[in-house]
Amino acid sequence: MDARSPILNVSALSVSVPEKLRIGGGQGDLRLVDGVSFQIRSGERLALVGESGSGKSMTARALMQLDRDVVLKGSVCWDGTELLGAAPRRLREIRGAEISMLFQDPMTALNPVLTIGEQVAEPLLVRGVSKKNAYRKAAQILDRLHVPKAKERLRAYPGQFSGGMRQRVVMAAALVAEPKLLIADEPTTALDVRVQEQVLDLIEEQSRELNLAVLFITHDLATVAGLAQSVVVMHHGKFVEQQNVDDLFSKPQHPYTRGLLASVPRLDADPNRRLLTVEDYMANHGGESLG
Amino acid sequence: MKTEDKLPPGLPSTHPDRRGEVSFAYRFSTATSPLAVGRGLGGLARRLFGAKTFLINRIAFGLVAVLLLLALLGPVLAPYDPNAPNTNAALQAPGAVHWLGTDDVGRDVLSRILTGATQTLISAVLIVVFATLIGVIVASAAALAPRWADEVVMRVCDMFMSIPSLVLALGLAAALGPSLTSIIIAMVAALWPATARLTRGILRETMTSAYIESAQIVGMSRLRLMVRHAIPNSLDAIYVHASMEISGTIVMMSGLAFLGVGAPPPSADWGSMIAQGQDFITTAWWVSLFPGLAITLSAVAFGLAGDAVRSLADPSSRRS
Repeated sequence: MDARSPILNVSALSVSVPEKLRIGGGQGDLRLVDGVSFQIRSGERLALVGESGSGKSMTARALMQLDRDVVLKGSVCWDGTELLGAAPRRLREIRGAEISMLFQDPMTALNPVLTIGEQVAEPLLVRGVSKKNAYRKAAQILDRLHVPKAKERLRAYPGQFSGGMRQRVVMAAALVAEPKLLIADEPTTALDVRVQEQVLDLIEEQSRELNLAVLFITHDLATVAGLAQSVVVMHHGKFVEQQNVDDLFSKPQHPYTRGLLASVPRLDADPNRRLLTVEDYMANHGGESLG
Repeated sequence: MKTEDKLPPGLPSTHPDRRGEVSFAYRFSTATSPLAVGRGLGGLARRLFGAKTFLINRIAFGLVAVLLLLALLGPVLAPYDPNAPNTNAALQAPGAVHWLGTDDVGRDVLSRILTGATQTLISAVLIVVFATLIGVIVASAAALAPRWADEVVMRVCDMFMSIPSLVLALGLAAALGPSLTSIIIAMVAALWPATARLTRGILRETMTSAYIESAQIVGMSRLRLMVRHAIPNSLDAIYVHASMEISGTIVMMSGLAFLGVGAPPPSADWGSMIAQGQDFITTAWWVSLFPGLAITLSAVAFGLAGDAVRSLADPSSRRS
């Protein structure tokens, strides 16, 4: 396959909650993601940024079709096949082996009653790889992710690991079946700054070494700068700006992006002046309609 | 720190088109995790008899152990034949020969209680095990099924639960005819809906946890997700419910036997022994009293044990 052609092609993807399933009532279908389109090439790292509730996670979950109660429209094209409306069997084959996902909180993402080994090897076991080979590979992937004494750790339980270690274990489980795309849904939010950096470095390292495409979801612009090659800014379920990372920071196009960047407080700013918010920027632009 | 740049060759491919065919038996063996269940049981056993266990809990477990031992050895320990009538020794008061006296046809009350223990306790345990198994299976199916099927199953449970379980069991047992098997079937039929409802609630809660979600994106089937991830994490609550049920089951079984739908005479059943003694309770109190005490003692012992299991499984309900 041509390296430049996208492996994932999302066009006009919409996610909405049907009226009768809306919690707390409300009229009409609730639209969470509104016609977003993007592409990811193999090995590319794309960041999806936006504030809470802007639809970042819903976009990612829609790619994997994790939620049963939402209505998906548009097209998600993976490696030449359409995923929306695909058979559950086909989806299961893709999950874990071709597209994998990392979740926010590593403290709760591991099953407390199964060992690390059982969980890291699971994507292989599900696919009929023999136990011996699956565990061997699990140890190797843990080793790759710099978990010391990986072989002995296979028999440990999640409770015996620290947060940073657990995120590595979760990552090992996500990468063990050699996926082509990793969706990382705020993987560092629950970790402290130092561990955050380690995890980000690991993601970047694996992405380079394995030619792994990464869809990185975050609300933290600082992590984006170091990791991603291009950035999509999301607001109210829509993409407001899509740029490569250097351009986004040097010449943001959309007032919302400018607002986001400027609302990061600066240490050398005048303490007597009120900090600017995103709303200030939006107001300056005549309250441009966004959603 | 060593990092291998390449994954080693020769490992089976995980690509769906290229993977080898595997047998159902193999898939099943990797889907269930007997280890996890075993660890759960082992951990529970350690906590039950560990050094930190409260005195009252230890007494409860000790009593339950003695009762279960009696249930197994009862017929062997019985000094007389529990069913042999001896009209010369009818209605004798407790004394050196017959420790707990004899009934109206001269059968030894102690021997009958010991023999009855086997029947009552073993079947109580069996009933709870079967009811829990059915409940868990139904609940798992409901949790996996589409929304409407889940609703249907739960409404069926509601229907069962709207009839008082004693009445339901009584009706069923009477319809099936008086035998121990029919009592067991009737009781299981009366008890499983409560277990199913409870388990479904617990499973639903477990299914929303983050690790279930991460397990799901690995590409496993929902059945495997249930058997390997959701059920082992819900076992604590299921153990607790089951252990609490046993005491109620003992009382209910005796109640059914008292009302005459139990095992047919002359089989020794605690409930029917009370019924048999009630005609002459003013003159020969021992015929009814001792089986009654046996029921009370068992119910209290299993009840305390159930409480203890709960306090061990859920630290927040522990007495300080």
